[in-house]
Amino acid sequence: MTGTGLDPHAATPVPRRREGLRQGALGLALVLPPLLVLAFLVALPAVTAVIETLTPAGGGGPTLANYARVLGARTLRADIVFSVGITLVSVAVVFALSYPLALYLRFSRGRAARVLGVLFVVPLFVPVVIASFAMITFLVNHGFVSTLLYQAGVRAFPRLVYNGTGIVLTQVWVNIPFAVLILGAGLQAIDDALIDGARDVGAGPLRTFASIILPLNAVPTMIALTLLFIGVFGSFTIPYLVGGNAPAMLGVTMTNYLTQYLQRAQAVTIAVLAFLIASVVGVVYVASVSRRERGAR
Amino acid sequence: MTAVLWPWAAGALRRAAGIAALLALASFILGPLLTLLLWAFAGTWLFPNLWPEFSLRWWTYVLGNADVEKAIRMSLMSAPTATLISAVICIPAAYAFARLEFPAKRVLLLSFLSANAFPKIGLYVSIATLLYRLDLMDTFTGVVLIQLVNTLLFMIWIPTGTFRGINRNLEEAARDAGAGPLRTFFQITLPIALPGIIVAGLFAFIAAFDEAQGTLIVGTPNHMTMPVLMYNLVLSYPQPVGAVFSILLSLPSLVLLLLAQRYLRAGYLAAGYSL
Repeated sequence: MTGTGLDPHAATPVPRRREGLRQGALGLALVLPPLLVLAFLVALPAVTAVIETLTPAGGGGPTLANYARVLGARTLRADIVFSVGITLVSVAVVFALSYPLALYLRFSRGRAARVLGVLFVVPLFVPVVIASFAMITFLVNHGFVSTLLYQAGVRAFPRLVYNGTGIVLTQVWVNIPFAVLILGAGLQAIDDALIDGARDVGAGPLRTFASIILPLNAVPTMIALTLLFIGVFGSFTIPYLVGGNAPAMLGVTMTNYLTQYLQRAQAVTIAVLAFLIASVVGVVYVASVSRRERGAR
Repeated sequence: MTAVLWPWAAGALRRAAGIAALLALASFILGPLLTLLLWAFAGTWLFPNLWPEFSLRWWTYVLGNADVEKAIRMSLMSAPTATLISAVICIPAAYAFARLEFPAKRVLLLSFLSANAFPKIGLYVSIATLLYRLDLMDTFTGVVLIQLVNTLLFMIWIPTGTFRGINRNLEEAARDAGAGPLRTFFQITLPIALPGIIVAGLFAFIAAFDEAQGTLIVGTPNHMTMPVLMYNLVLSYPQPVGAVFSILLSLPSLVLLLLAQRYLRAGYLAAGYSL
């Protein structure tokens, strides 16, 4: 066996110079096609969108007029506040349900855990359009929940759909599997010996959780939180179908500007604003992943 | 609550809490789906009744609809095309990310997350303005491109992880026995990596097939896929129509999942998310 094959994850230790150049060129050539797609479909649209929003309609130098117009509209400001609020509430609820579930699945071996382990993945395979519609039939006034409440003697039905509550409930339904899978993958990587060790020196469950599990699972937690935020914030289908008319989430607002009011410049301006808001958490996400990638190598 | 989490906590309490959580979660997750299923076979379902009057008449209505047929054809053409293009360009790239050393490798691999680091709908609106300039709005190409964006991450990251996990010694043994690099790849590496690639392909296909919001913007009015048509059905048709169509729409993903379930059970699902 040659020296290079000892550890499959180790970088090839400085091969002969020609070989290294050849490999570098081959590697770049192989990764080029998907990178071109990415450049054409993500980078280029994003850059042209920003440039377009800074260019005045009548020609002339760059201006912030588009942003002033969008941010000057009271309804749009309300939509921004609504979007951020709904997103934060959704992420908090998903997280509050998913972390205990991930812990339970990691540390329990019973039949209930096995059933839960299959059950929680179901929404992952249901298209969001169907999920939204299913939630409507379930939650709508005179829907299934109302029927059950009526049969139980309740005559006053809470409004569960076509408002913020509906959006949050549907976001929770759709995002639980994803959050549990990411958190669970992180928990799986924690060595049982560490937890047993903490128990042996007298740490209770809460203490073990706070001082062993939480810090060791910090990176997957950050990834889950940021992806959830970006996912909910950038959603369209759920607020479009399950949400109310006004205030609307930004995804609905920008699509309306593009396809209903035919105001492309406004739509793109709102999109760029959404990018900016999400980029704050996007930075945290990429930093977390690159930290873990470094650890994995 | 914390008692639930620990193997050494009291057994009975743990079991009771587990069962309560199971029931609550089961009704939250399955309730909407079962309601939808009932609606699909309901002729009419008047309010305080627990059960609908069963009938199949909405099925004949939906299956006889020309728009439905057109959308099914569009979906079955565009999603496989996007998945195939994605596989062809991404799998060699994934191999390179896993095995070869080249400049800026880590940054390039991370750049595939960029599609995830933006709010999706904002990205689609920006892509739409670009496609508008290129005269690709309301075309098959435009629809495939939108679906392609959603497949890249799965097709790069899952196979990269799979290739990384393959022992280099196997490949080197084949090389030592005189096989060329291409032969080694196709006869040794690819077969071992196949389960991971199948899972990646499955996720990519589902992502492409279920893509609705971008296609709504780019494909209307003449290139509507099934999920896009679903928006119309939900908003302006009686509930059973949407319910019947939901079942049609879930069929392809469901069949693929059943076919691929042994790979999913083998832990590739979690592996995809631990990347």
